[in-house]
Amino acid sequence: MAQARLARREHLTGWAFIAPALILLGLFMIYPIIWSLWMSFQVGKGMNFSFGGLANIERLTKDPVFLRALGNTFTFFIIQVPIMITLALLFAVALNDSTLRFRGLFRTAIFLPCVTSLIAYSTIFKSMFATDGVVNQALMAVHIIGSPIGWFTDPFWAKVVIIIAITWRWTGYNMIFYLAALQNIDRSIYEAARIDGVPAWARFRYLTIPMLKPVILFTTVISTIGTLQLFDEVYNFTAGNGGPSDSTLTLSLYIYNLTFKFMPSFGYSATVSWVIVVLVAILSFIQFLIARDRRTS
Amino acid sequence: MSSVTLKGVRKSYGSLEVIKGVDLEIESKAFVVFVGPSGCGKSTLLRMIAGLEHITAGELEIGGRQMNDVDPSKRGIAMVFQSYALYPHMTVRENMGFALRFAGVAKEQIARQVDEAARILALEPLLDRVPKELSGGQRQRVAIGRAIVRKPEVFLFDEPLSNLDAELRVHMRIEIARLHKELKTTMVYVTHDQVEAMTLADTIVVLRDGVIEQVGKPLELYEDPANLFVAGFIGSPKMNLMAGVVTASGNGTVTVELIHQGKARLALPLTGAAPAVGSAVTIGVRPEHFGPAGAGGAEMSLNIDVAEHLGATSYIYANTRSGEQIIIEHEQSRLQGDQESITVSIDPARAYLFDDKGQRLR
Repeated sequence: MAQARLARREHLTGWAFIAPALILLGLFMIYPIIWSLWMSFQVGKGMNFSFGGLANIERLTKDPVFLRALGNTFTFFIIQVPIMITLALLFAVALNDSTLRFRGLFRTAIFLPCVTSLIAYSTIFKSMFATDGVVNQALMAVHIIGSPIGWFTDPFWAKVVIIIAITWRWTGYNMIFYLAALQNIDRSIYEAARIDGVPAWARFRYLTIPMLKPVILFTTVISTIGTLQLFDEVYNFTAGNGGPSDSTLTLSLYIYNLTFKFMPSFGYSATVSWVIVVLVAILSFIQFLIARDRRTS
Repeated sequence: MSSVTLKGVRKSYGSLEVIKGVDLEIESKAFVVFVGPSGCGKSTLLRMIAGLEHITAGELEIGGRQMNDVDPSKRGIAMVFQSYALYPHMTVRENMGFALRFAGVAKEQIARQVDEAARILALEPLLDRVPKELSGGQRQRVAIGRAIVRKPEVFLFDEPLSNLDAELRVHMRIEIARLHKELKTTMVYVTHDQVEAMTLADTIVVLRDGVIEQVGKPLELYEDPANLFVAGFIGSPKMNLMAGVVTASGNGTVTVELIHQGKARLALPLTGAAPAVGSAVTIGVRPEHFGPAGAGGAEMSLNIDVAEHLGATSYIYANTRSGEQIIIEHEQSRLQGDQESITVSIDPARAYLFDDKGQRLR
């Protein structure tokens, strides 16, 4: 009896401790998520909406701007994530070399972009990639190009700038995960391989990469989620319109525009946000499937 | 099979010198053990032979060839690490065969060599497991197997048994000894455990602070230590070291008074130069070399502190009146009831004499 009462009291104390966090989470996370799911079945403009069933999903399939945004987001994801992951891995291995001088300096320099103010770096990128900016001038000075590239006016190059920018910003962040993982690998594994005559490229390919596999999977999933939600750079570089002619419009930016810029269509924009959720779930699942250890399966 | 020769080998990290000129000749097919306390440079010396550490000065030859600047993989060596250093994502079979793929060995040949090594080490049932599915002893056998498949001229072991529990350590020690008999390869083995050194080695190299203190066969080191350090390091429990002062010398004997032992006197035979009368010396007596009271030589009466009964023998931890601790191995396994004191004698023929610099006087 007394024991049951004690257990009950302990339970109550436990719940009391987590209650503040739980209430806040419920109010600002769980409730809006459920609300947005309900919203995604509503049609109508502004606050004037009614239940529309699957009408929003039907609208998605016929909305050329949505399809454009989806295509752009996929382009960013498919090109940028592999480039960034590879770069981060190479930097991490290079900066893990104990004989390298100024390691700390290089590590900081590569990590710094992800803690830099977004507005400051966007402004500098915009000026660097302006038609008469330093990038065009440098490329022309070394005769790689004959006339300036319209970085923000050409649909192709606009995408390239976005990819360069997010790669610059997030490579160092991913590198830190690899560096931490590399430092956890027993050094004598590499020494054993060296003594046994395993060449450097094979040590990287057959030892480092497989041993980093869990971390590579983790960073890939995180980067995939980040890229599917890409908003900041596009909004800042293109004054919020995803131009030129929607060529850099992403799903997140489209949601923002649907909600706050156009005649508000809350139901439809909620549907688009749920598209991102479903995509993240599917892509993460595929990545886990690919990375699964064949031996344990 | 290859010999290994070190000539005036030195190693410095900046201004810190850790190996201070080592000369050593390791014969082909020998089993040589480097032993010493931690920080004595034994692992560094092994890693220099392996090529994992650069040799600051001096010469290294393996099989008569100068190897100072030769890549580790071309020195004809294989190394077994304390942490096993297995590739965690590969099976036992892949672990053992991995390096051979890059040596241009044909697939069937690799399979044959792996199978042979697995047979020698009784690893056949484990070939398709990954390291995390193996016990510590099995992992170390795989690491040894990975070394065997390369058919090296010289095996290097860096504290291979330190991560194993006591029982397994004894078992693996015997396996390594058997392996040496079977493969007849030169083996260089580093350990801080003097029991491993005594049981495995043909030759023991005792190191301290980057300098060789003594090289010799296990029993030579035990019976005839060259200095105080080796005398104290080899043997378990440790040799008892007692402060003394020379009171007389001449005619092939030197008489020493034991300062803390109630001025007991001991006349020791000496063939070399005798220390001056009045100089400080150290007398060493191994725990098993004390005789019963009345057996001749110097007698000491001691207070018993603790007695450990191990069955066949007992270790008695006793104190002199001035507080010096003496360990006595007592073959009659039982003392009389709650005996509080004991009188033992020191046979001069079994006592070791060291001068004030710790060098042995014979």
